[in-house]
Amino acid sequence: MHTVMIITFMFRSVAYTFIRHFVEEEIFVKTITVLFLSALLISCAPTAKNTRIDEKHVHEQGEFTKHYKESLFQLSEKGMYSVELVLKEPELKTGINAVDIIIHDKTDRDVVDADITVVPWMPEMGHGVFEKPVITERGGGVYTVDNIILIMSGYWELRITIKEASFVDKAVFEFRDVKVDRGHEHKMTEAPADLDLAAKKLTDNKMFNVSYKSMREPIPINRIHTWELAVLKADGSPVRGAVISLDGDMPEHGHGLSTQPEVTDDLGNGKYLVEGIKFSMPGWWVMKFNIQSGDKEDTVMFNLMLKE
Amino acid sequence: MKKSFYRVLLSMMIIAVLCASSAWPLDLHTWSEDEMTTLKSLWIGSLPPVPADPSNKYSVDPKAVAFGKKLFFDNRLSGNLKVSCATCHPANMNFADNLPLAHGMGTTTRRTMPLIGMAYQTWLFWDGRKDSLWAQALGPIESPVEHGFTRTQCASIIIEHHKKDYEELFGPLPALSKRDLPASAKPSPEEPSALKAWVSIPRDKKKAINRIYTNMGKAIAAFVQTIMPTPSRFDDYVEAALKNDFSRMVKTLANDEVKGLRLFIGKAKCTNCHSGPLFTNGEFHNIGLTQPENLPPDAGRSDAIAKVLADEFNCMSEYSDARRADCSELRFIDTDTYKYIGAFKTPTLRNVAERAPYMRAGQISTLEKVLEFYRDLKPGQRSADLEHGELNDLQLQQLEAFLRTLSAPLDFAK
Repeated sequence: MHTVMIITFMFRSVAYTFIRHFVEEEIFVKTITVLFLSALLISCAPTAKNTRIDEKHVHEQGEFTKHYKESLFQLSEKGMYSVELVLKEPELKTGINAVDIIIHDKTDRDVVDADITVVPWMPEMGHGVFEKPVITERGGGVYTVDNIILIMSGYWELRITIKEASFVDKAVFEFRDVKVDRGHEHKMTEAPADLDLAAKKLTDNKMFNVSYKSMREPIPINRIHTWELAVLKADGSPVRGAVISLDGDMPEHGHGLSTQPEVTDDLGNGKYLVEGIKFSMPGWWVMKFNIQSGDKEDTVMFNLMLKE
Repeated sequence: MKKSFYRVLLSMMIIAVLCASSAWPLDLHTWSEDEMTTLKSLWIGSLPPVPADPSNKYSVDPKAVAFGKKLFFDNRLSGNLKVSCATCHPANMNFADNLPLAHGMGTTTRRTMPLIGMAYQTWLFWDGRKDSLWAQALGPIESPVEHGFTRTQCASIIIEHHKKDYEELFGPLPALSKRDLPASAKPSPEEPSALKAWVSIPRDKKKAINRIYTNMGKAIAAFVQTIMPTPSRFDDYVEAALKNDFSRMVKTLANDEVKGLRLFIGKAKCTNCHSGPLFTNGEFHNIGLTQPENLPPDAGRSDAIAKVLADEFNCMSEYSDARRADCSELRFIDTDTYKYIGAFKTPTLRNVAERAPYMRAGQISTLEKVLEFYRDLKPGQRSADLEHGELNDLQLQQLEAFLRTLSAPLDFAK
């Protein structure tokens, strides 16, 4: 044991000398810093961004034809629409993606005011994503879909549903080999170092003040247990009779809980019983609650860093 | 300045070479606080006492254990008088045969499961289609390819051969005549003639037969609950580590085994699923193993969710002794069938080296090949739970060496 300690000590003093040597060489340090920073800047510069497509396009080729040269083209399942998909970057990657969807009907009319939903789905893994894509209609049958967060590489589908009055139709675009985006990989898969682990938070739109308490401390792995949720108004008074739904997710692993927990009891005084929570593995978990009270509805997310 | 710099560099190199060549034992056996927490969580000492099963009020009754043991080894509980629970779960082989597919009266489509620490499991069978050990024990009995028997035949055997044991434990047997117990009668949609015979039995007699049958299951479960792991070399190592007994740590595990352990809880992330003192999270995962060609497609957990909810003997059934509050797992079961297509339960890794072949249909013959399978999964084929980092051949050997330290004789009611 003694020899070990002596060698460790020797190693340490050697390391100090080494570092000091470099620090003294000021110019060298400066050069390295400048080089490093410029490399960082270059690597972060936007890569040939393909900006928005033009909403105006020519309608002269007749029914169910392409209007954009670079688009992926499909007829919807029931044959009611043509759906074109334009990727904003050359291909989909893990991380945040955006696409434009352009919809025409049989008469080559621009389909406007339709209710569009887009669900990213991994058919082989049997799961989707936690965050919903954001859809903005831009006119001329063009809809921009932002915030398509693909949580892992592999085979993805973008499942598009088009609703117009009572008509519903679907189209599925397949992306067989979505690759890891090296630039985003870290950001997407690892928990940020400054993860907010607070058990008491304001909801996203500041409508409620929500806190949770696990009936088992520390929060167990692999054991079904119960939480108590307290919901307060902005003025600190309890929110009674709220309708609460919840879900859990492991952002680094792309899956959720292995149970379907529910709020099973209103304990009164703004307190609610949440039964059936079970975390199947240690790591970063996100618990998301949706709270509805009267005409107010808001959501809140809690981060948990669970250990064995 | 320059001279001293090179001198320093030289001494550093010498130390680096020294450290690398002698596989410095202190580094190897030094664990961070987080690593120690993980090691302790895997340690057999962290296993809580066997929990009583609320759905089986006989689960820790010594009489039930003794009766269950008799039933476990009873060949009469089969269509050919040759099959007992011990046929696929032989006691001298750690209660698991060495066949790719279990073989009773015929051949099943899955591998025999290990019975180690079953008392701690929430879901039973590879797909978790049962939610208690006693309900599980009754499944193979009526399977045509396992015991090939029926509950009416079981009732006859109990009445004829085990009356005393049964009545001491469960009270008087109901009055059932030979006519009430047609041999081939069971509620099986796959066997219409047996189903017809079952449906034709008067309702109260059916209940009486089910009561005998479920009590029989509860006794078998009481015995199976006693099958427990004992401390392995890995456990001795963790115990030494917890006591800071450095020399015992060095003596207990070889360098390769410790390196394997470090990979297991670190870079290779095996503890994502193989967690806790039984090295399983008891959950269901699709690991991307291809479907064996000679077997029908197997959807695994996906198909079992409705089965366990509809099961006549589940936690919420009239034959269960549990209160509704004890049935959280069933009440909050994840019903997302799409998510569980091709997903099977994580098995324990205790005694894993004694249990080839591997996987749910015995597709992989050796531990070495199992590790290669996990390593060779391409990023697109595996879920993030299965990210193992880049592992080389040497590291796979170290992992295998570590897995072999998890073997130890089993303990069970003698």
